[in-house]
Amino acid sequence: MSPDSPPSVKVTTGSGKARWARLGRRLGARVLTGVVMVLAVATLTFFLVHSMPGNPIQTEYQTLIARGVSPSLAAQQVAGMYGFVSSKPLIDQYGQYMWHLLQFNLGKSITASGEPVVHLVLSAAPWTIIPVLSGLIVSFLLGVSLGAVAAVRRTNRLGKVLSVSGSLFHGVPQFVWAVMLAYLFTTLLPIFPFGSPYNILDTPGWNGPFILSLVYSAILPVLAYALSSYGGWLLTMRSSVVTVLGDDFVLAAELRGLRPLTQLRYVARNAFLPLFTTLLLSVGFMFGGSIFIEEVFDYPGLGYQLVNAVNARDYPLMSGDFLFITVAVIAANILADFLYTFIDPRVRKAA
Amino acid sequence: MRTNSASLSSPTATTAQSVTVPGEVPGAEIRGLKVVFQTPAGPMPAVNDVDLDLPLGTITGLVGESGSGKSTLALAMMNAVPKPGHIAAGSIRLPSVTDMTRLQGKALRLARGTALGYVFQASQNSLNPLKRIGAQLLDLGRAHGMEDKGALLRHARELCERMGLDPVRTLSAYQHELSGGMRQRVGIVFALILNPSVLVLDEPTTALDMISQRTVLDIIRYVQRERHLATLIITHDIAIVADLADYLVVMYGGRVVEKGPTRHVLQRAAHPYTEGLIAAIPRISGDIDRAQPLPGRPPDLLSIPRQGCVFRERCAFAIDQCSVQTPGLMPVRVTRRHDALEEDSALLDGQVAACHVRAPAPSAKVST
Ligand SMILES: Nc1ncnc2c1ncn2[C@@H]1O[C@H](COP(=O)(O)OP(=O)(O)O)[C@@H](O)[C@H]1O
Ligand code: SF4
Ligand SMILES: [Mg+2]
Repeated sequence: MSPDSPPSVKVTTGSGKARWARLGRRLGARVLTGVVMVLAVATLTFFLVHSMPGNPIQTEYQTLIARGVSPSLAAQQVAGMYGFVSSKPLIDQYGQYMWHLLQFNLGKSITASGEPVVHLVLSAAPWTIIPVLSGLIVSFLLGVSLGAVAAVRRTNRLGKVLSVSGSLFHGVPQFVWAVMLAYLFTTLLPIFPFGSPYNILDTPGWNGPFILSLVYSAILPVLAYALSSYGGWLLTMRSSVVTVLGDDFVLAAELRGLRPLTQLRYVARNAFLPLFTTLLLSVGFMFGGSIFIEEVFDYPGLGYQLVNAVNARDYPLMSGDFLFITVAVIAANILADFLYTFIDPRVRKAA
Repeated sequence: MRTNSASLSSPTATTAQSVTVPGEVPGAEIRGLKVVFQTPAGPMPAVNDVDLDLPLGTITGLVGESGSGKSTLALAMMNAVPKPGHIAAGSIRLPSVTDMTRLQGKALRLARGTALGYVFQASQNSLNPLKRIGAQLLDLGRAHGMEDKGALLRHARELCERMGLDPVRTLSAYQHELSGGMRQRVGIVFALILNPSVLVLDEPTTALDMISQRTVLDIIRYVQRERHLATLIITHDIAIVADLADYLVVMYGGRVVEKGPTRHVLQRAAHPYTEGLIAAIPRISGDIDRAQPLPGRPPDLLSIPRQGCVFRERCAFAIDQCSVQTPGLMPVRVTRRHDALEEDSALLDGQVAACHVRAPAPSAKVST
């Protein structure tokens, strides 16, 4: 080619409409896979739950006996539960369960005297979701910003102290945080309430004192969620920033004389990218933690409900809780995948 | 500043340092440059006692095997030697900067990109993958106080056209949407957008296919002429610059071992290392069967001889003097031997080499 007549080169960039169509198709495919996964998990949990040793009636009977109730009285009380426990073959129960599931009917709770499981799960869900998300947001913001500082300052004291704090916090399991916080701030230094998610003297509703007591009682559980994941965010962000700092384009930006703030923005956005997926995926991990944390703080969320359902062998409620958590995790997955295409131009094309 | 140039004491040697033909305007003048890396074994020079002129309107090819200190030299020109290294001595004068090595902070940031355009060795990934190319050009302009977005974009579009890139599509593209050759051309756009008069390209064609290589080299030649730049092309492959460069500079073990007009250096290489480099390339040595790979390996920081000639461990012509005295750059002469007694030697225009055997210091003036 002659230098005076350089060839024209076409660059491939997706046009607007085609891109949206592509994104739509991708989302549709993901949702479909998600539904199939939910059904598979529902099947699995159904059989797992029913293969647990013991059954609801026997368990309740033994609980009553253990409490000192006389055998005849216990048998009488337990008799009321027969109506809710199916005696059909398991495979027929399964067929019915799945058929109801497709109509968003999760059956009736055995222990809560026939209350629809959907109601129970939905009324417990906010007690888990709100603290989990608050804890997640607090720890994410804190961990990510301090992780970036730890990376940039990795050779001096501040950076090292931050990294060590990350490792220490990361090493402590969620239930240890919960027990520790509960002991420190409700027993040793009783500045936080204990045993109820709000002050029972306030009238529930949209009034100031009640909401305040809600928030106040939520501080310790939220803190437990936050502290247990802070270290992970810090360490992940730190290593992500360190990786990006080693990328060629960062040196290039410096050698082109870009403003320090612009350089920082370039690094931060690139380092943040992998964490974004992890953020949404960690929703599942947080739900797992709710089992311990709600138990410790007597918080009436899904984890608490699930533990009680398992102990009482309340099959429909157990399945309902598992299913709700599964749906939440899968939905977070799909959301992560979908949003990722917006923040990383490189996957748009592959979409 | 010339702490390490013991061999430069003779007047002959000093005048021989400059390859600049009278009348040429210097674009960049590097004097006595020494870059040192801290290693577990103490400070080690990666670039040592380098004098280099890049006249405006010329292309200089800097060649040498990998590890000879080429990239370090280029980074030093930006005053951007990475830790654990630093510029230990020397000065770098650019048309708008008295001494690049003395700048710091905001003055240094502003000089980068404006005084000297740099195309990166890994230019394949020299852009933020998450931002459109046009937006990054605007960031660059803004960083250097060019508030007139319109003018900047016009200039960018014009440069893209010069590079044979579709301006609209290129500026709205992300890095990953471009091929290797296109990325390299975009790298040149970024290096030229702030109108520097010195352009440094580090291995601009490495990792490109043959056709893209050709295109990029043509573009370099073309913008060079159009903008009357002082261009430095760094490559480990002498064939890349054989047709393109006006001057060749050969580096080995952190030192310049030979330099001069390309034609002279290629036709009558004086330094055994230059000879070796040329012999290793079939296209220049002419005969593919006679292409000889250079035996031995280039030294790394720890194995560069501290005293004597840096090349002596691989040199077939070494004499005793080579291990005690560091050869300085001396004018290269062609000698035609008429008979045993009569010699007729002529100075080759501006070609200098650092070799006790091939370019000996005038014997009367040797200072040990
Ligand atoms: N950041 C660094 N730290 C330590 N040594 C380095 C660093 N960069 C380069 N070097 C050393 O400096 C010498 C010259 O390297 P370089 O300038 O990259 O050579 P070239 O570009 O000619 O291949 C090599 O021995 C290399 O190991
Ligand atoms: S100075 Fe000696 S060792 Fe160095 S290149 Fe010349 S002959 Fe070889
Ligand atoms: Mg290099």
